[in-house]
Amino acid sequence: MLRNRKLAIGAVVSALALGLAACGSDDDDSGGGSSTGASAEEVTVYSSLPLQGASRPQTTAMVQGIKLALQQQGGKAGNTKVNYKSLDDSTASEGSWEAGQVSANARKAAQDDKAVVYIGEFNSGASAISIPLLNEGGVPQISPANTAVGLTTDEPGADKGEPEKYYPTGKRTYARIVPKDTIQGAALATVMKQDGCKSIFILNDKEVYGAGLAKNIENSAKEQGIAVEGNDPIEKTAANYRSLVSKINADCVVYSGITANNAVQLYKDLSAGLPNAKLYGPDGVAESGFADPKEKGIPASVGKKIKVSVATLDPDEYGPEGKAFFADFQKEYGERNPDPYAIYGYEAMKLALQSIENAGDDAGNRERVLEEIFKTKDRDSVLGTYSIDEDGDTTLTDYGIYKIEGGELVFDEKIQAAPTE
Amino acid sequence: MEAAPVNVTKSAPLAAVGSFLGKYGLILVLLVMPVAFGIDDLRTDGNLTALGQNLVAGLSNGAIWALVAVGYTLVYGIIELINFAHGDVFMIGSFVAFGLYGVFGLTVATGALGLAVGLFAVLLVTMFATGSLNVLIERVGYRPLRGAPKLAPLITAVGFSFLLQNVGLLWLGGSQAGVPNLIDQAKVVFTVAGVDITRGDILALAATAPLVYLATTFIRKSRLDKAMRATAQDPEAARLMGINVDTTISLTFLLGGVLAGAAGLIYALYQTTVWFFQGFTAGLIAFTAAVMGGIGNLKGAVLGGLIIGCIQQISDNRVGQEWTPVIVFAYLILIMVFKPSGLLGEETREAG
Repeated sequence: MLRNRKLAIGAVVSALALGLAACGSDDDDSGGGSSTGASAEEVTVYSSLPLQGASRPQTTAMVQGIKLALQQQGGKAGNTKVNYKSLDDSTASEGSWEAGQVSANARKAAQDDKAVVYIGEFNSGASAISIPLLNEGGVPQISPANTAVGLTTDEPGADKGEPEKYYPTGKRTYARIVPKDTIQGAALATVMKQDGCKSIFILNDKEVYGAGLAKNIENSAKEQGIAVEGNDPIEKTAANYRSLVSKINADCVVYSGITANNAVQLYKDLSAGLPNAKLYGPDGVAESGFADPKEKGIPASVGKKIKVSVATLDPDEYGPEGKAFFADFQKEYGERNPDPYAIYGYEAMKLALQSIENAGDDAGNRERVLEEIFKTKDRDSVLGTYSIDEDGDTTLTDYGIYKIEGGELVFDEKIQAAPTE
Repeated sequence: MEAAPVNVTKSAPLAAVGSFLGKYGLILVLLVMPVAFGIDDLRTDGNLTALGQNLVAGLSNGAIWALVAVGYTLVYGIIELINFAHGDVFMIGSFVAFGLYGVFGLTVATGALGLAVGLFAVLLVTMFATGSLNVLIERVGYRPLRGAPKLAPLITAVGFSFLLQNVGLLWLGGSQAGVPNLIDQAKVVFTVAGVDITRGDILALAATAPLVYLATTFIRKSRLDKAMRATAQDPEAARLMGINVDTTISLTFLLGGVLAGAAGLIYALYQTTVWFFQGFTAGLIAFTAAVMGGIGNLKGAVLGGLIIGCIQQISDNRVGQEWTPVIVFAYLILIMVFKPSGLLGEETREAG
């Protein structure tokens, strides 16, 4: 019943979105037809992020980061003028990314001759839909936030057929600047070990991201000698998780999923049912929509028990470029402690601009820009020095562990974990 | 077409089994899970604490479904309409209650007396709001269609359901919203044989029981009872007997809406998370509860709600949450097969 309803809504939304996309293409034509391959004076960078629902505060900060990067370069990459278009891959009723909306966004970018880079998606499950569409359209894609292993490799945590099924042309068109979940899983296992967890219980939200990361956490925990009591899926529509929680005997519990899949209720029930357990979460809940009671997140009394991992560090842990970013961000938007992914939004745009600039006269040629993205080597960035490997993965491995204090994410420590093979 | 031949020459033992199943099959079906898990508990833990914990959680969760289910069954009993908007009226109840927390200045820091008075005021205003909303829905969406084919009001009901869902969506957004845990619902009040009874449990049961009792007594003691039954049996004849059919139906919707509002507040206090989609889920479960208990039958709706609550919690705890909806609806199918009129029997025009 629920599935059907979702499908129905999806169908309606995609129909609407197609209509919108059709309208949108008129605007694109008005800019004058420069076809892919020719030298261009103007190109477009799209971003596709869930701008509604629980992740809204997080994605708003990301869009601000993206805009800041473009603004600092005067709206240009070398001699090429860069336009930025922000798309929304969520619907109000889902409260998070929605399949129909994601594909509409990917098609819109693929059909726009001037589109040379697509920044997105925020959620791995959403990228599983947009990667193949953009791959067929040859649009270079940079995700500022995806961590699911299977999007780029077949390492542990990936499903059967991954990652090949996402690249119908056989050529890689997708890169990401966040370390993948083999590393996040290891980081979470490491911090749980440090905190003295002897046994853990994993709960996942069944999505590409949540279920995949849960497997990574399980593997890493076992390797580090922590007993894994279970790895159970949760139902997003359940009224509460009281009886689910009451079967858990582990001293630590980690939820692998996103805020929008009822994480607030889950953590409240975990805190009430297991008052002595230590609670953990991944970057899927590392946002103020989860941590801040004022944003309808968890109460402060529950927040104190939780540690979350996210691949962002404290401003003090970064090199001069990173520190400068936080100073600039505060100057521009007046926010001293932006949601963790703001810096990734910024760097995604920076990498896009650099690649467009490197393509020189071929800035309007998607293939050339793609080549430049994959050529990225020892790039000095706000995140530190990194390269993009042949799978499209970053060579960065730093994860930050955050505590939640008074509704804010507070940096606790940096974890450098080796992924479990 | 000829009627299928009925096999009258059943052998004696088979017939005995058949009549035994007919009488007790339903009870057997319902007891399968608790008994199996109870034996399992006894073997591993040596006591029934875990099962008791499941049942307490099940009864308190089920009490909320029961309040919503009564609204479904009241409406179905009188005009034979599945009021799809009912679950969403319940959701609006939760939202109104949450909004009123702010209006009355209720926070986790409010003292016990202030909280008791404040929550009682919230309860009254919420019940008034959802009761009026339900009456309005009937007046606008169903009354003009009284002579129309049955499909017509069914479609307006679906329409109202979507309309209210989108009101909820605009109101609090698409994600689950945490609301202040005013009564510290997870706090254990006392422990019986190792089973923890929380404030939430006490609230859900202590608020539901009198509400259902009051509603049924009100229907029985007032002249509404006769009027409702007459209207349900034959609206035309009832009208000829001088019964104001429209008023009777309006009152029924008012009563259903009032109970949904109370359920909305209890839900907000008990779960401490509200969501625009909660009405859809709750509506589905409550409707199932009403059918399970015997549609049109008030006691049946309450019983159905409590049973589904228990099945859900046992399944969450023992089987796995991804199987819970499967198990709930498998139970519904089994009950329908064994007793098509539901546990306590239908009370509708068709059933007589």
